[in-house]
Amino acid sequence: MDENKLWDIRAFVYQHFADMARPPLVDEIASQFALTHEEAASAYEELHQRHALYLRPGTHDILMANPFSGVETPFRVRANGKTYFANCAWDSLGIPATLHADAEIGAACAQSGDPIRLSVTDQQVQNSDALVHFLIPFREWYNDLTFT
Amino acid sequence: MNMLFFQSEETLHEWLASREAERGAVLSIPQLWELSQRWYHNRMALEYHGRTVEQVQEIFKELGLTSAFWQAM
Repeated sequence: MDENKLWDIRAFVYQHFADMARPPLVDEIASQFALTHEEAASAYEELHQRHALYLRPGTHDILMANPFSGVETPFRVRANGKTYFANCAWDSLGIPATLHADAEIGAACAQSGDPIRLSVTDQQVQNSDALVHFLIPFREWYNDLTFT
Repeated sequence: MNMLFFQSEETLHEWLASREAERGAVLSIPQLWELSQRWYHNRMALEYHGRTVEQVQEIFKELGLTSAFWQAM
C-alpha cells in the first residue's frame, strides 16, 4: 500500500478514537478510503507491524492505539464529554495530553483497590499523593507490549 | 499491564512483596504528566510516524530520567 495512504489511515484511526471513543472497524476503513475489506485489513496488519497500533491476536480489531484502548480497562478517562479507556496508568494521563483537553481520570490503587482520581485542567495536572510504578525497564518494553 | 497506580509507597511495597518483584521506577503524578505531555502531545498529527530509540532516549534525558531503568541497552 502507498505509504501516504497508510499514514492517512493511522491518523484516521486516532481521529476516530478521539471522536467516538472507540476504534474504527476494518469495514469503516474500507469505506472511508475506498478499499476492499482485504486491503483495509492488510493496512491494519502493516500498521501493527510498525507498532503504530496493536491488533487483538488473530483478529483485525484494534486492541490499542496508545494511549487509547479498544477495550474497557480499569483506567477510565472522562474528556470532551466522552468516556475513554486507557491502556495503563501512564496512558490515562496520555489521553488528555493527546487530546489537549481537560480530563477526569478514575482508576484504583493496584494493591488496595482504593480509588485514585486525577484531574487535568488547562493542561495542568492537579497534584496527588499517588505514585506510578513502572515494573519493566525500557529496554524490554517492546518484548510483550500488552504486558508492559 | 504493569504501569500501575499506587496510593502510597506503603501499598507499592506490599504489592512488590506479594509478587516477589523488584522495584522498577517510580514517578510522581506531576512527573508522569510531564512525560505524558512530552510523549503524546503530537500523537494525533498526520506527520507522527513513531519514534526512534534515540528520540525516546532524548525525551527521557530531557525529563531527568537517566537511570539504567530508562536506558536502551
